[in-house]
Amino acid sequence: MLENYFPILLFILVGLAVGVAPMVLGKIVGPNRPDSEKNSPYECGFEAFEDARMKFDVRYYLVAILFILFDLEIAFLFPWAVVLKEIGLFGFIAMMVFLGILVVGFIYEWMKGALEWE
Amino acid sequence: MDAIQQMFGPFWPLVWSLAKIVAIVAPLMGAVAYLTLAERKVIGYMQVRIGPNRVGYYGLLQPLADGLKLLFKEIIMPTAASKKLFLLGPILAIAPALAAWAVVPFSSSLVLANVDASLLYIMAVTSMGVYGVIVAGWASNSKYAFLGSLRSAAQIVSYEIAMGFALVGVLMSANSLNLVKIVEAQSGGFWQWYFIPLLPLFIVYLISGVAETNRAPFDVAEGESEIVAGFHVEYSGMAFAVFFLAEYANMILISALTSIMFLGGWLSPFPFLPDSALWLFAKMAFVLFLFLWFRATFPRYRYDQIMRLGWKVFIPVTLVWIIVIGAFMQTPLAYLFH
Amino acid sequence: MLNIQDIVFYILAAIVLFAGLRVITARNPVHAALYLVLAFFTAAGIWMLLEAEFLAIALVLVYVGAVMVLFLFVVMMLDINLDKLREGFWDYAPLAGFVGILMAAEMAMVLGSKHFGPERVPAPPVHSADYSNTAELGRLLYTDYVYPFELAAVVLLVAIVAAIALTMRRRKDSKYIDPAQQVRVKRNDRLKIVSMPAEKESVETPAESQGEQA
Repeated sequence: MLENYFPILLFILVGLAVGVAPMVLGKIVGPNRPDSEKNSPYECGFEAFEDARMKFDVRYYLVAILFILFDLEIAFLFPWAVVLKEIGLFGFIAMMVFLGILVVGFIYEWMKGALEWE
Repeated sequence: MDAIQQMFGPFWPLVWSLAKIVAIVAPLMGAVAYLTLAERKVIGYMQVRIGPNRVGYYGLLQPLADGLKLLFKEIIMPTAASKKLFLLGPILAIAPALAAWAVVPFSSSLVLANVDASLLYIMAVTSMGVYGVIVAGWASNSKYAFLGSLRSAAQIVSYEIAMGFALVGVLMSANSLNLVKIVEAQSGGFWQWYFIPLLPLFIVYLISGVAETNRAPFDVAEGESEIVAGFHVEYSGMAFAVFFLAEYANMILISALTSIMFLGGWLSPFPFLPDSALWLFAKMAFVLFLFLWFRATFPRYRYDQIMRLGWKVFIPVTLVWIIVIGAFMQTPLAYLFH
Repeated sequence: MLNIQDIVFYILAAIVLFAGLRVITARNPVHAALYLVLAFFTAAGIWMLLEAEFLAIALVLVYVGAVMVLFLFVVMMLDINLDKLREGFWDYAPLAGFVGILMAAEMAMVLGSKHFGPERVPAPPVHSADYSNTAELGRLLYTDYVYPFELAAVVLLVAIVAAIALTMRRRKDSKYIDPAQQVRVKRNDRLKIVSMPAEKESVETPAESQGEQA
């Protein structure tokens, strides 16, 4: 099994290299003429007002939290989908109960307006 | 061949794997380059323009000229940025977009790493692409970049769920996480391909793929007219080019996955024609054409509409269809999924 | 003679240790979170060396792909004042050191005892290339371990409800559009046709200008 994963490890390293190589090349070949105006953050010709790292809407956290929960659900669904034929009706009902409980959460989320963007 | 093998001695597996990786990455980079030209040409003709036609015959050397131009541009380093993370952003964007190709099968024997959990691996690796966006937006220390990266990250993660659910339907039909086995389960003519029994999931997957790659009409993260270019507004020269490569490599990856999981991969549409990787490339070209067509046709979605579509339409649709397939497989008709 | 697996293991282990160390020593919380991402990713590599295929990839999918995105969102926004955080360092150092030693001792007792080790837990047989770790897991999880599996659903439900109850704040001042309402709108809601008596034409108006208007 592991011998199959060896090319994947190599591929990840090659992927990183493909990211690094053009930038190194660009750094060598391209000009480097820094200028305080050029290097300032882009803000429609204004001076930057304040630090750009500001507080943002709590909704983004909510999306990230809900994403974790649904991602876990997917992680549970994958092995189930692979063996559904073998585990038959019992496995099917087990997953329906699992999904049923989570659909309650999904409906709660919907009704509470957690999915509304305005 | 044997002589070369002896030359490298114990390092032969390493060298051989690297050669195969280059044989995947190099054509992929070429495909990315010519996809940018195809995009400009296709959209040009759709808008009754000609598109690039000055560099080389029919503009065929245009991608090369673009690449060279970007190479000789300065990589501007904003003073306010976090230097290391600023440079790390593009690398984190392209590495997952390429690493996912390790398990993509081009035909039943033509696959670099035929691992059992290849679909899961692709899901995991592509889910890391969001770091490029987040790190780039944060490290730039610019408001537009930050806003763009937040929007983009929330959008990518939302559609990843819909994509994951859509894939569960494919797994249920194929009984395997292995991409080669998923394609082989669809053999026997185009009426056996999964886009017919899993039509709702196919549509959800395709549209989520467009949203996942931040392409029009879901390109609020870039939103030229609102936040100028989103998370990569501060990037220039080759650093920008790497983001660009990553976006197009992701598009090609999504088209390959759609073809493999719903359109029968390398299988020919009729049993009397031979199966070949050429079929896969033709299907990928078709899906990529859809991507370009969408961009030329649809106006940009509003952000609240995007989130509504992902959470309130796609997730319920996919959940219902998973239950329908599961229930169907408990009936005596289950043999229809062979 | 080291084989390739051992070499990979030592490289990955070194990266995990380095990343873990940087998580607690990095001054910038965003850097720390990114080192944690690296630590998770490399740990997944080590799990893969143990042939725990599904778990290794699920670790990347769930922790790196989802949990750490939330972590990054949080630390990116929080204005963490490092000097203030460091203020109480020496006050807490004895207690923290004690907890640390306790944890290390506990781990040493478990790992060094006669219940754990290479001779107590023999290495599993090497599996063939087409062995499906995921299917094996699925066969057990939804049949023998169905009760804990359903409990996991309840835990996830509690997490969904808690996340919404804790973070959901409706802003009263923002105006927003409800697409469903937009679609449902009928002509009669927006447009009212009232019948009014026609205005009297003034006599002076020339006939040509009327023709132009029409």
